[in-house]
Amino acid sequence: MNVNLLRIAQILSRFIFPLLISGFVAAHSVPASAAAPRQKIDNSQLKMSITPRSANQMAAFYEGREFPPPAIAATREACFFTVGIRNRLDDILWHDIKSWRFVTDGKEIQPLSQADWKQTWQQRGIEQRFQSTFRWTLLPDLRDLRPGEQQGGNISLPRTDKTFSLRASFATGADKTGKKYTVQFKNLRCHDETE
Amino acid sequence: MKHFIFSLVIWLVTLNVYAGTPSLPKGVLKIAPRPAPALSLKNLDEETFSLDNKTGRWAFVHFWASWCGPCRREMPSIQTLVKQSSSLKLDFFIVNTAESEDVVFSFIGSVAPEVNTLLDLDGLVTEKWHPRGLPSTYLVDTDGYIRYIVLGGQNWHHPDYTHFLHKLGQNNP
Repeated sequence: MNVNLLRIAQILSRFIFPLLISGFVAAHSVPASAAAPRQKIDNSQLKMSITPRSANQMAAFYEGREFPPPAIAATREACFFTVGIRNRLDDILWHDIKSWRFVTDGKEIQPLSQADWKQTWQQRGIEQRFQSTFRWTLLPDLRDLRPGEQQGGNISLPRTDKTFSLRASFATGADKTGKKYTVQFKNLRCHDETE
Repeated sequence: MKHFIFSLVIWLVTLNVYAGTPSLPKGVLKIAPRPAPALSLKNLDEETFSLDNKTGRWAFVHFWASWCGPCRREMPSIQTLVKQSSSLKLDFFIVNTAESEDVVFSFIGSVAPEVNTLLDLDGLVTEKWHPRGLPSTYLVDTDGYIRYIVLGGQNWHHPDYTHFLHKLGQNNP
């Protein structure tokens, strides 16, 4: 492929610099003391981390992907966490969002599903390409993680100012009949820039 | 003596089984063959490329996006592979998922300008392939069946992968 230098220069001015700026804002707009902590679990079955993301961090990311304002506004209404999971077993580990329980004050909070987001995008008339990109940034609802395989992505909930816990169970084995493993994260909070 | 002969037979059978199942490079999974979904997309120069089984070559089908960290790290290694495409005897279909032409051009032009990336502008072609995530790679045989999937980003220029792909190109996986 021949690279058109003039075109590269145009692209640099139009996209790279705004991206750099948005990346800088995402990295520095929240004082270090206010940054919500990442929680991690690392044992012989799995490695898992969950990191609260602020509305500004999410907005900066999707603005960098050229998302339109109505889509950005929708992301600001939700509470995002970036989740990473690595299977440490020599067997299949099943990630199934239906086996995750977010609980606050004894009540369960339902995470926003991919179907929920699709409905939001359709109501707001968001272009298919943005719907597609957004979906790829979400943690899959279901995945048979092979030995050593890792996956990452965002999970979202309706925004709340309460703390909550996450109890996540994982089935194992090709037919899900192996030993079940459960991990728990406590004192999770939506990341609030005003903290 | 009978015991010795029995042990020898067992050993030979075991040896034969292992010789017939060569180990795969890290992250490469052999799957039950399934037909590859349709793939016909334009590149940055608006030329159309279609996956078909008329070339008699295996196809390396890869999905990526510039916002995905592992995709960014992997792309230079894919460029190294693409440069060897004639000796590997593979057809490459490197597909960007749901990004604009300008975003793709700015990334690929600076990181891997020799990669002929195709544009899945609305992301719908990618969805038909059901990737486990991005990046994702599929190896499609000469009859149009997906035979291997590759989990996550890999160092494709490592000899483990080039040797494996070379064998695919010889239709001798």
